[in-house]
Amino acid sequence: MQNAVDSAQIEDALLAILLNDTILQSLCPDGVWWDSAGEANGQPARRFVIVSLLTHADEPVFGGRAIEDYTFLVKAVMLGASSVDIRAAAQRFDELLDDEQLDLPDYAFGAMFREQRVRYVEEDSENPAIRWLHRGGHYRVQVSLPHA
Amino acid sequence: MAIKTGRYGSVMYDPAGTTPVEVVSLNAWKASFKTDKEDVTCFGDTNKVYVPGMKDVSGTVAGFWNSDPAASGILFDAADADTPGKLKLVPNDSTAEAPFFWSGLAYLDAEIDCSMAAPKVSGEFMAAGPWTRAVGP
Repeated sequence: MQNAVDSAQIEDALLAILLNDTILQSLCPDGVWWDSAGEANGQPARRFVIVSLLTHADEPVFGGRAIEDYTFLVKAVMLGASSVDIRAAAQRFDELLDDEQLDLPDYAFGAMFREQRVRYVEEDSENPAIRWLHRGGHYRVQVSLPHA
Repeated sequence: MAIKTGRYGSVMYDPAGTTPVEVVSLNAWKASFKTDKEDVTCFGDTNKVYVPGMKDVSGTVAGFWNSDPAASGILFDAADADTPGKLKLVPNDSTAEAPFFWSGLAYLDAEIDCSMAAPKVSGEFMAAGPWTRAVGP
């Protein structure tokens, strides 16, 4: 039977790519957030990245887990931004994540690729005149646990 | 004694036919020990009557393709082999109790199913000699 591994390595590696990219930092200066954005520099975040776990499945083999299959939502959220900026952010996600690799010490990396786009406009709940732009994609990550 | 999980089952194989070792990354096996029955119903019988013929031992193994040559490669080497190997099928190998298993010489076929998900391998086996059921290492 295999040793337990920390599955949080997957989201840590994904977040590290997004957090360390200077282009994304300029497009989305209020940070990369898990599920929902907090404050940035004492102000509500207005241009940021959201990452969420949408689906996850473990595939077993005899004796333990063999494959982990994830789908992450990765999107930019911008208030009062130009479509140029949010388009650039979504394009940057693809450059960083689509058919790229994650650095995972305890896993054998399988694949990472976009499964579908995300693009919509959300009216602000308190002021319908304010519109939030959302754009990004669903990114699938497949990894396996090495078996001797 | 208790009902056990199949999570700790195993499929073991030795192409030389002596000492099977585990084929990793598999997650299913099925074996059938069905004996042919011949219909010997006669005039006057109130129901059909059968006599047993020869037992057929066959089944399937399945799991994920593993790039280690010593993993899925074992199945595909077996599929190419002209001579049978020893196959050992264990329902549960996790407890202090000696595991229960079936084993015997078998020919194997192999298949691979590759899609956008993890490629899956499978194989069918058929007996190439007497099969036994036993308890032990």
